[in-house]
Amino acid sequence: MNYPKEREKANGNEKISRRRFLKVTGTIIFVVGAGSYVPAKKSYSKPVTTDAHRDAIPPSNGYLLVDIRKCQGCTSCMLACTLVHEGVENPSLSRIQIIQNPFKSFPDDVTIEQCRQCVDPVCVQACPADALQANAKYGNVRMVDRTKCIGCGDCTEACPYTPSRTVVALDENFNEDFKARKCDLCANTPYHWDVAGGGPDGKQACVEVCPVGAIEFTKEIPAQKGDEGYKVNLRGTPWWGLGYTKG
Amino acid sequence: MSGYAGKILRVNLTNRKIKTIATKKYAKWVGGHGMGSAIFFDLVKDKSIDGFDPANIVTLMTSPLSGTLTPAGAARTEMQGIGVQSIPIGWFTRSNFGGRFSSMLKYAGWDGIVVEGRADEPVWLDIRNDAVSVRNCRDLALWGTDTWQCQQQIWKYVAGKQMFGDWLEPAGRDGGQTTQRPAVLAIGPAGENLSRMACLIHDASSSAGQGGFGAVWGAKRLKAISVIGTGSIRVHNPQALMQARLWQQKNYAFKLDNLKRKYMSVDFQSPPVPGTLYRRGKPWIGKRPQACIGCHSGCRGRYADGIGNEATCFTTTFYPFADSLGIQRQACDLLNRNGLNAAEMLWGELYIRDLNRAGILGPGKEIDCPLNFGSYGQLAFAEQLVQAITYRNDGRGNEHRFGDDLAEGFVRAADKWGRLDGAHGDLQTGRLMFPIWGLPRHKEARSQLDWAYGTILGDRDINEHGFDQLRSNPTYNKRWGIPLYGSAEEVVKIYTDKMVPFQGDRRMLDFSDANMYSEHIAKLVTWHRYYSRFWKQSVQFCDWRWPDFLNLYGPGKVGSTGIAEPKFLNAVTGYNFSFLNGIELGRKIWNLDHAIWTLQGRHRDMVQFADYLYTQPSFTFDGHTEYMPGIENGKWRYIKVLGRHFDKSKFEEFKTRFYRLQAWDTRSGYPTRKTLESLDMGYVADELEKEGRLGRA
Repeated sequence: MNYPKEREKANGNEKISRRRFLKVTGTIIFVVGAGSYVPAKKSYSKPVTTDAHRDAIPPSNGYLLVDIRKCQGCTSCMLACTLVHEGVENPSLSRIQIIQNPFKSFPDDVTIEQCRQCVDPVCVQACPADALQANAKYGNVRMVDRTKCIGCGDCTEACPYTPSRTVVALDENFNEDFKARKCDLCANTPYHWDVAGGGPDGKQACVEVCPVGAIEFTKEIPAQKGDEGYKVNLRGTPWWGLGYTKG
Repeated sequence: MSGYAGKILRVNLTNRKIKTIATKKYAKWVGGHGMGSAIFFDLVKDKSIDGFDPANIVTLMTSPLSGTLTPAGAARTEMQGIGVQSIPIGWFTRSNFGGRFSSMLKYAGWDGIVVEGRADEPVWLDIRNDAVSVRNCRDLALWGTDTWQCQQQIWKYVAGKQMFGDWLEPAGRDGGQTTQRPAVLAIGPAGENLSRMACLIHDASSSAGQGGFGAVWGAKRLKAISVIGTGSIRVHNPQALMQARLWQQKNYAFKLDNLKRKYMSVDFQSPPVPGTLYRRGKPWIGKRPQACIGCHSGCRGRYADGIGNEATCFTTTFYPFADSLGIQRQACDLLNRNGLNAAEMLWGELYIRDLNRAGILGPGKEIDCPLNFGSYGQLAFAEQLVQAITYRNDGRGNEHRFGDDLAEGFVRAADKWGRLDGAHGDLQTGRLMFPIWGLPRHKEARSQLDWAYGTILGDRDINEHGFDQLRSNPTYNKRWGIPLYGSAEEVVKIYTDKMVPFQGDRRMLDFSDANMYSEHIAKLVTWHRYYSRFWKQSVQFCDWRWPDFLNLYGPGKVGSTGIAEPKFLNAVTGYNFSFLNGIELGRKIWNLDHAIWTLQGRHRDMVQFADYLYTQPSFTFDGHTEYMPGIENGKWRYIKVLGRHFDKSKFEEFKTRFYRLQAWDTRSGYPTRKTLESLDMGYVADELEKEGRLGRA
């Protein structure tokens, strides 16, 4: 089975995606501010076509912050993520990705790549099926409605980060069609362990399970420029007391 | 079958044919060691063959918990086959390593791998989900590379031009994607050159060290197995698994805001601190803890200078008299890159150092040795020694019998040099500290009886730390003043209450001289064998974190063992296993292993320690004594256990007690038909009978 996108390419109707455009031009425009409300089109690059009615996307009420110097690389967050969302263990379906290289030196040996719930969510804007939206029911978390998703991969292409934070994979619940997944702060988790559920006002599996506290949830909008707003220092006295340096 | 991929990969290197075995055929063994032993029994018709024989098979088995959220229970891989390290017989043995190999194998859709035969030229195995290829090493020039080079070359080959960190489609567009690199298990040049102390390395320092399996792979001309997978592991009850994980973490794991201890301990409650044992302490540079898949508390580290990444335990003890910490750390990497067993290298290096200082070994000496002892302490010395053993030469590329001798293992080398002869041989005096089955010393055998008896009644240094805190905590309390976990009586109660079906027999943990050969100690060893064979080596809970007997975070210091293990297994598989069910299945697996050793030629008369354990008092290198719980003058105390040795005739009495407890023939140590049939293994009794090795009732 091919992505619908591939079929489109085969028909000669390929559009230049935002992600591909950004990779070529190296241009990423961030419009940010704590609590800011960002009209999407203002920061959206020209080559991507979006529907005119989606011109205002409210910011998410929740964000994940990570400390890549504290992470011990156990990938428990990835296992918890797919467990509560999909009922299986599969790092390939995880909305948060730990990537590590045991032959590299600290701190370049590990990175955590989580969805930023971007204030300017180009994935939302890129979705041609309105399947990826800020969900008002769950604090405007950017969520995929898999019943609408056509598995085109445009959200993946649009995401300016590596690896792309949306995950497109075959879905056995939808006749083995390609469907996108992305971090919803555990809002839509059929296998959530807690009666309170997830989302910005609930519990996030990766935060709860991380044994060293390298993932934190916040309602404050992180600085959108660069990584500093999302990759933070969550170490502290107890951590240093175990023999780890402050740097 | 929740928790399982459903199939086991069977690769014949001789004809390069690839087959599958349905996992359900062996499901009654649950996973890991049990499955590996059962497969070995079925596929190897003549169990008495040498480990280098192409008919020997090597199994690498996962568990239903591999790749799941089970804390310290999701990452081990159990390797089995006939080893080449022990003497007088290379026993059917096991080695086990962590990291991410077993989880990746499961994500690729395999519960295990069976390797048989011998390739006509060096090969490696390339597994990408269902696609399995036996590839020639020459295409990537892998043969001759060290273990790190080999892994990274395979990464590059599998990933192609995809940049590190981006999504990769290793099995094609419809085969799923991953950000991970393949999990590769590789031998180094030591394995290629058939050193009997060759091991296998995965990532930087996850090592399958024991058994000489590196050489077994070398003989099969198998350089590496690479696996990358993008599939799912089905979980029977996802909510129950998540709840179990959080329950375990909340109630029994370290708390950064409430640290009970700040150092690494070999138990569940330990904080994430690298378990390094460098003689000059820990490197005080930027570092992180590094954990296996799913583990709550990493025991390894990665460092700002990248030296000694992931190395722990024995690997970090090699070359203790190096001139600096930096040199000792680099020596770790030498072992990992060349693929050498650290325990054998530690004690072997100290042995030749001792012989050199005594004027016996050196250039032109009684034992002609090309090593430059003038550079002892520098990295150059360690490099020359490692190269000599790896390449069977003088360590500088020139032919020399010294390296060839050592590559056969230090006991075989000492034998060849005539050092084992007579009443003052090096295994009589204890100069050569390879006390059991020709294997290197680990814990002091005359103190830690569970360790000594488990090893001599088994096949290898057990390297099972389940009772190690009974020695380390009171010993380090006396030595360094660290707080005691509790009084001897309190601790013994907490432990023995969990040891079903022998629970409540407190004297199982009485390590006093008077109790060394008792029925109680026989029960301790029995329980430890059964627990380890099932929960630790088949379900594959990590040795450094389980069992969770005593836990300072637990209610009344009582840990989670007995409750936790089946909780995780049942949540993943949907089984209704009790803790005792696991102990009973452990008994069955232990009996199968013992039957295989019997078919290899074991008789109770062979079950003997090296002579020095019967004649020389036990000691520690720093001169401090060791303490363990025991009854003294009618009261439980932490008693001194150093300075004693085994008594040969009393050890014979102990063996009889142990064999009786197993319902084996006490005269020969052979298993009996009645016992095997009671365990539903009449077919094993048939084979023993055919070979004239069935015990009499």
